[in-house]
Amino acid sequence: MAGAPTESSPRIDLRLAATRQGFAAGFDELRRGLDALPLDARARFSVELIFEEVVANLVRHGTRTDAPTTTLSLEVVLRDDAVQLTFLDDGVPFDPRSRPDPAPATDLEHAEVGGRGLMLIRSVSRTLEYARTPEGQNRLSVAVTRDATSGPRMSDGARSGV
Amino acid sequence: MKMDITEDDGVVKVGLMGRLDTPGVDAVETRFTAAVVPRAARAVVDLSGVEFIGSLGLRMFITIARALNRRNGRMILYAPQPFVAQVFETASLGDIIPVKPDATSAVAAAKA
Repeated sequence: MAGAPTESSPRIDLRLAATRQGFAAGFDELRRGLDALPLDARARFSVELIFEEVVANLVRHGTRTDAPTTTLSLEVVLRDDAVQLTFLDDGVPFDPRSRPDPAPATDLEHAEVGGRGLMLIRSVSRTLEYARTPEGQNRLSVAVTRDATSGPRMSDGARSGV
Repeated sequence: MKMDITEDDGVVKVGLMGRLDTPGVDAVETRFTAAVVPRAARAVVDLSGVEFIGSLGLRMFITIARALNRRNGRMILYAPQPFVAQVFETASLGDIIPVKPDATSAVAAAKA
């Protein structure tokens, strides 16, 4: 957890299918929700970066072959000094904390092409917690530091909910 | 995601505008690759209009830069917005894909 909820605890809840189409639609929905939250630019970029990496990884590597669909839900809650993101998906078990960063690139020919998504998530996260739930879901909780003094002012729209 | 391609004095300038998230990369990667790799271009890429980049965008740049390198071409990036620049720094790509502050220095590096 990352501090107490703010007075009105503005939040975003969304659910999407782990497909490219679901990813694109979910990203649009997230960005519309973020427009209504009083986030500083760095925190907003970080939230979008984490969403991009988590969902792209699920769509490319985490979908189940023994089920018709894989779905993901995301809860974004604004707290005093942080944004708390909680991802819940029914894809294959995956603990992102267990994967090492790629080796530093010394030249183009030997640079690893991929594997940087988790590195980017870690770089913008204050905390990163993972659990496999008893219901067989991946639960990933990520906190991003928020500068409440430099972001846009809380708007009436944000206070009334998203 | 939008992309403009122009050429001046032997240097191909690629202007990218928008978001290099997964949908954005899907929208430009094939055209971007086709515009610079077959001709072994000396390319400079204007990032000033790129608002967002994730790991798939980094993967695109590494793939194209490597293909150019194998053909004796090269790719120089320039003018990233601060948070985009931070992503490049986090991924430690500065040593293998040059990132310059402006067009003038990028073109000079492409011609060197």
